[in-house]
Amino acid sequence: MRDSYDAVIIGAGHNGLTLGAYLARSGLEVLVLERRHEEGGGLCTEELTLSGFLHNVHANYHTFVDLAPPVNDLDVRGHGVEYVRPEVQMASIYDDGTALTIHTDLDKTCASIARFSEQDAETFRRLYVEAHGYVDLLLGTLMYQPPMSVKELTRALATFGVEDRSEFLSVKLRRETINQFLDQHFTHPKVKAHLAFHGAVCAYTNDVPGLAIGFPLLVGKIDNWHLCIGGSHRLAHALWRDLAQHGGVMISDADVQAILVDGGRAVGVRLADGTEVAARKLVASTVSVEQTFLEFLEPTAVPEELRGRIKTDVKHKDWTLFSVHLAMTALPEYSAADFDPDVNRAWVVNLGYGSLEELNADFAAVRAGRLPDPKPNAAVNSLYDPTDAPPGCATGLLRQFAPFAIAGGGEGEWESVGRWYGHRCIEAWRTFAPNLTDDVILDWVPYTPLEIAQKLPNMVRGDWMMGEVSLANMLDQRPLPELGQYRTPVEALYMAGSTQHPHGFITFGPAYNALQVIADDLGIDAWWRHV
Amino acid sequence: MADIYTPEWYEEVRDAMNARVATMKNLPAGALQIKIEIYGDGASPYVAEGSERHFLVSIEDGHCAWYREVEGDDPAVKLDYRFRGPATAFDGIAAGLQDPIDAALHGTVKVRGDMRFLMRQAEHVKVLLEAYANGVQTSWPLGRPPYAADREEAVRA
Repeated sequence: MRDSYDAVIIGAGHNGLTLGAYLARSGLEVLVLERRHEEGGGLCTEELTLSGFLHNVHANYHTFVDLAPPVNDLDVRGHGVEYVRPEVQMASIYDDGTALTIHTDLDKTCASIARFSEQDAETFRRLYVEAHGYVDLLLGTLMYQPPMSVKELTRALATFGVEDRSEFLSVKLRRETINQFLDQHFTHPKVKAHLAFHGAVCAYTNDVPGLAIGFPLLVGKIDNWHLCIGGSHRLAHALWRDLAQHGGVMISDADVQAILVDGGRAVGVRLADGTEVAARKLVASTVSVEQTFLEFLEPTAVPEELRGRIKTDVKHKDWTLFSVHLAMTALPEYSAADFDPDVNRAWVVNLGYGSLEELNADFAAVRAGRLPDPKPNAAVNSLYDPTDAPPGCATGLLRQFAPFAIAGGGEGEWESVGRWYGHRCIEAWRTFAPNLTDDVILDWVPYTPLEIAQKLPNMVRGDWMMGEVSLANMLDQRPLPELGQYRTPVEALYMAGSTQHPHGFITFGPAYNALQVIADDLGIDAWWRHV
Repeated sequence: MADIYTPEWYEEVRDAMNARVATMKNLPAGALQIKIEIYGDGASPYVAEGSERHFLVSIEDGHCAWYREVEGDDPAVKLDYRFRGPATAFDGIAAGLQDPIDAALHGTVKVRGDMRFLMRQAEHVKVLLEAYANGVQTSWPLGRPPYAADREEAVRA
């Protein structure tokens, strides 16, 4: 590591690596610093249970493959990433033994929905076709550009007369919940529950006002869920390779303690061991707003009002995820396969939510700090990735909507209830897949919300989206209006992580959009702007 | 009245656009280069199946400076936007049969470039598109859309 670089980036998650790779390809000398022992952040794959079983500890679903420009710009496939798009993307299995399956084949999806409601199947087809038509346009407008304001967007949609041209897009959606959208357009409780579940897995909670505005877009890519063969960390490794091949450097075990400021300008960082590295052109942070402004910067470097607002106004998700990672000797065989055999090939399965009311009730319980009776979702990567477990074996991933702090005991309570609650989640899975007996499960480990926050401190309070997903915390308002365009009050300091628009998930969006702003400020030729 | 996709037609389209924006205020300053790529889809007699016709439109300070047919991409030209779609769609737009905003919204015509600018200049963009779609009397020497294939498809649907 030299003592100065053009750009110093804090955090080697997918956003930090992406920004670093673009800047390195643009000719800048780039250093990416990572606190942990390896690159990746949420792109973390570990043998949590037994040797040979690869578990994606955080990011498992890659839903922006071939939609996000960096996938091609940075040639991640050329660097060894192999994606698979499971034919049966998702399913819901209901308490009565029926099941609904989402396929990459629209006709099959509609046929599955039609078993519950032919009217809903027709509505879904129209919604999907319409949304699929504008998914590129909306992603280009809303996700892969520095954000506009809701007011600007609303005005443009009105001018173009979008409401008259669309069955599903409407300005009024900015005030509505996904529940309301589903109630307006769909009839069957199970169909509505599945679509709401899909939104919730994407962090678009079904009862939050305003999130209906994003729902058509979610449906437009409902069948674009990809699995990274060999584990999600392969993507991080590919991004690191691209960075390195273009002269960039990533240093792990490099715990940033301070961002150095001189004359109101970010000029470098100091590590925990006292090493100082100068940044000639910029410092970019991809970690949390709290770490960046309250820990890394001296109080005198940050306007007092902004410090106060970061303490009080930065909003985090009001629910998080409890996970169970399993090593198994068999794939799940669902009883509901009698109703729909394709459930046994479904990558991600909602186990039991059969109505919006059930989802509403559980989110209400979670917000009150209570642990709901488990209705986890189960992902079996081994169905589509033969490399993630030894021959004849399989991995399993259960995820349950959960609170960060448990009522009466706080987040520390997870240390005592984690294994008990994990066992309950497995029991819930077994209810639907009776073959998953104790002898089939070789090993399992819980992964609690507390562990999320401990492992990745930028996921404050287990907030895996690094900021609430709500209309008030979207676009140019995320994470705060004065930070919403990736610049900060400190000259040459940029925010480029999932605290920023669009949000968390493997979108690449925060880094890609910060890049546009940095390029404008530094006069970098934007070779990536393919028109 | 000019034949579709001829220099005379481009001039008429340009004049129609400029007539419509003449009274508009707050037109965007600066120059924009817009590429239109039309590919043959087996129905239009103006773009053979398997071939493409490309057009470049230059917008300066909100007015259309010129509109001409070009061959492929010229690396010397820095494009701001690219509109790409099947000939049936573009012919339909020019004939006033297909709504250009519909075509973009539903993905028939793909749009690439800085979408924020298009959204912020929505009023201006809408006027230019309306001029393209309805501002010119066009003659169709090889037949006018909708084409037989379109009609057959519509009947089947």
